[in-house]
Amino acid sequence: MIGRARNPWRAPRFLAVGTWLYIAWALVPVAVAIMFSFNDGRSRSVWQGFSMRWWWGDPNLSLFHHPDYTQALVHSIRLAVLDMAIATPLGVMLALGLNRWRGRGSRPANLLMLVPLVTPELVMAVSLLLLFTQVAIVPFALVELGTTAQVIGQVTVSLPYVVVIVRSRLASIGEQYEEAASDLGASPLQALRLVLLPLLFPAIVASMLIVFALSMDNFVVTQYLSSDQSTATIPMYVYANTRGAATPALNALASVLVFLTLLASGVAFGVYAFAQRRVRRSGGSAVRELTALDR
Amino acid sequence: MMYSRWYWRALVSPGLAWLGLFVLVPTYALVAVATGRIDELYRPIPAWNPAKWNVGFIREAFAAAVPGGAYWPTVRNTLLYVGAALTLCIVIGYPVAYYIARHARRTKALLVLLIVIPFWVSYLMRMLAWVGLLSPDGYVNQVLAAVGITQPPDWLGGYPLPVILALTYGYIPFFILPVYAGLDRIDRNLLDAGRDLGASPLRNFLHVTLPLSRPSLLAGCVLVVLPMFGDYYTNELISRSPRTSMLGNQVTLFMLGGPQKNRGAALVIVMMAILLLAMTYYVVATARDRARAA
Amino acid sequence: MDGGQLATRADRAPVGEIRVVGLTKRFDEIVAVADIDLEIRPGEFFALLGPSGCGKTTILRMIAGFEEPTAGTVVLDGEDLSRVPAHRRNVNTVFQSYALFPHLDVFGNVAFGLRRQKVPRAELRRRVGEALDLVQLGDQSRRRPMQLSGGQQQRVALARALVLRPAVLLLDEPLGALDAKLRKQLQVELKALQEQVGITFVFVTHDQEEALSMSDRIAVMQAGRIEQVGTPRALYEEPATPFVADFLGVSNLMTVEVEGSDSAGSWLRIGEFRLLAREGDRLARGVATIVVRPERIVLEPYYALEGENRLPAMVERTMYVGSAVHAIVRLATGATLQASVPNTGDAVNWQQGTPVSVHLPADAIRVLAVASPPTPRS
Repeated sequence: MIGRARNPWRAPRFLAVGTWLYIAWALVPVAVAIMFSFNDGRSRSVWQGFSMRWWWGDPNLSLFHHPDYTQALVHSIRLAVLDMAIATPLGVMLALGLNRWRGRGSRPANLLMLVPLVTPELVMAVSLLLLFTQVAIVPFALVELGTTAQVIGQVTVSLPYVVVIVRSRLASIGEQYEEAASDLGASPLQALRLVLLPLLFPAIVASMLIVFALSMDNFVVTQYLSSDQSTATIPMYVYANTRGAATPALNALASVLVFLTLLASGVAFGVYAFAQRRVRRSGGSAVRELTALDR
Repeated sequence: MMYSRWYWRALVSPGLAWLGLFVLVPTYALVAVATGRIDELYRPIPAWNPAKWNVGFIREAFAAAVPGGAYWPTVRNTLLYVGAALTLCIVIGYPVAYYIARHARRTKALLVLLIVIPFWVSYLMRMLAWVGLLSPDGYVNQVLAAVGITQPPDWLGGYPLPVILALTYGYIPFFILPVYAGLDRIDRNLLDAGRDLGASPLRNFLHVTLPLSRPSLLAGCVLVVLPMFGDYYTNELISRSPRTSMLGNQVTLFMLGGPQKNRGAALVIVMMAILLLAMTYYVVATARDRARAA
Repeated sequence: MDGGQLATRADRAPVGEIRVVGLTKRFDEIVAVADIDLEIRPGEFFALLGPSGCGKTTILRMIAGFEEPTAGTVVLDGEDLSRVPAHRRNVNTVFQSYALFPHLDVFGNVAFGLRRQKVPRAELRRRVGEALDLVQLGDQSRRRPMQLSGGQQQRVALARALVLRPAVLLLDEPLGALDAKLRKQLQVELKALQEQVGITFVFVTHDQEEALSMSDRIAVMQAGRIEQVGTPRALYEEPATPFVADFLGVSNLMTVEVEGSDSAGSWLRIGEFRLLAREGDRLARGVATIVVRPERIVLEPYYALEGENRLPAMVERTMYVGSAVHAIVRLATGATLQASVPNTGDAVNWQQGTPVSVHLPADAIRVLAVASPPTPRS
């Protein structure tokens, strides 16, 4: 038979084409939406030329001048920072403790930790809403809907992510360094502070950034636990105005959101992958480690 | 044991306390409200004591959720849309995950990056994008007009198909990633062994790859079905019509739209019952897989 | 190698004597270590030898304090360690994977334990320097573990443990990750180091050659129990059980019938042949096992089949290993033996298929008792 023999290992061409088509389908609409934030006219669906008016050009309606938009941006970041600040230490400690715990309570504790991850966010939102509005006993009655409630809700939803990330890192680090530290005379707290935390540091930073990204993107819980306009976040604002007559400044606002979350998650991945190189363990890529959410 | 018991107890306490306060107690509050009563202003009176539980609302909700009941159209919509969207996710997502895991060589890292990106782009941004594209003067209709279709469908007018497509679009990254991870983890040697024993590429796929990817396939389905069940925002953005209302819309209507919190809580319980059925299937299926592998 | 001030045999205050009594460790249903009694003498190089899963590492970890015994005690220099947590025991470990802290440089690693003891800075610097000189890494103190070779990392791990002057040093298969040549070199260095420093070394390994060449005494273990404790020579030449015989080198175990014994030795029947054995258990009767080491077997031409303890056999295979020729011979009874003929330059070639006469000298045959004797203390 004359001609090039077909490589038996090569995939059918349609698979490759299909994959790239999917990628285009997934990403192009978002790119278009971002593009429209630079539209010259008021339309969000018809291109009318390039302009920066919706970003800062227009003195009243552009992203950085419109009080509603800037407030949503500020509130989003406020919630994200608070979420990071609370969920990360809680989650790291939980991960460390759960990793060591062999007793009988450890399985239910592990399951409890995973509940926010596997429950639809709507169920969590409804439960928390009822908690803060119906329960008359002290810690909950003190919390009204608004920023505090939103932070509590977001932390609860983010917590499992921190635990999973830190625990998978702990698993790949292993017990040897703590044992070595202990062998050399370090008390449990010293071993934690001097050996384990430095080794975990990249995973902790990565989980912090992931929490930031999750918080910025969070919608359901944040909306359910909000009180009024002042507690609106970017996703809430986008939701409220997508079907309205909003200007492309809305696209600009959404673009800021996309930019911040992609940045945070990108840096998180970079930090995690970089740290992998230091602790010399054979095999396994960072993606494989992070996606090994063995439930 | 290396460390004394209170070492890890101290570490675990704050997190567990948080989870107890903000996961367990709210769940109980949900049940209490669903089994409670209402006062003259239609505000809920939660029944904290199980002895005083009133199953009236729950019974009503279950009765309304079956064919013929008040919620049935909503339940039917939910089951239909989720089922259709899940099917689309599998049909589109599995081949993509398969290609990237098993066949992409030089482009693999780039492709992985590209499928991770939508995972992080806010759901609402992606819906915003489609609302822009699907609006009467948007690009979709422009393209259709260019090929001669001058009477395009009313995309955003409240029809099931756009909702299903939007759900698929929104949640498919949650499906592709775990499936990709599972496929990527399959030992190449197993496939080589299959070829060595005379299997064609297709048979290799059907008898080696597919069974081995079953756990991650199931995981991907779960990761997609769970949030879809609670979805209400896709409908609100793409459809805006009660015609395509899903369970999530009905719940949100009760919870945020007026004094019907008991009904809302009861409906959430119905929703969780349906989900529990799906989850039981998942647990049984994976347990069976594990037993067979042992 | 200059030991300097690190520690010499003379000025050792803690003595480094370990007594293990009734030590048991159970993991759920599995008994990893079953009722072990051990006595490790001050300053000796003691090896725990056995196949994977025999419990040797578990014993080490219980001495170090990383595992809590299910039963039994570990006593170090008279102090019961049951109540003492790992970080307060005067015992240090060299781990199989070295466990060097990646985020610290070599100096930081070696100084770690000294810092926990709040040693003043000048003295700390001096002692770290000495420890690194001892393992010949004096110029590497600023490098990171990741930049070092396997052999260098192992030395850093050693220095890190030795700088603290422990009473006992525990080593968990420290040479396992190194290639053959480096292993041999480090075996010699480790032994010399131990002699110089004078600390008790407890060394875990599955490599019998390693244990034999380095240790003062060895405990051979199987399935959580000690089979025999003794010097390398005693274990090799006077194994108490078939397991010990077979684990340390080629054993040529054979089943025989003991007919009786007198002042000359034990009379054995194998097939239709009679043998005289002068070593081993004179009191054994009936079915027993014998051990003959390959280097003691003498191969003679077939026509010389006269004299006691000669068995006819056929050469099945020969393996030339440079320093010797290993000949696998099959006896008329069906059993195969491996004989090791040293390469002395003589031109005698045992060809495959040649009939030979196998001479088993009477004092090379050792009769093993059928039931294992209790752990002898020798």
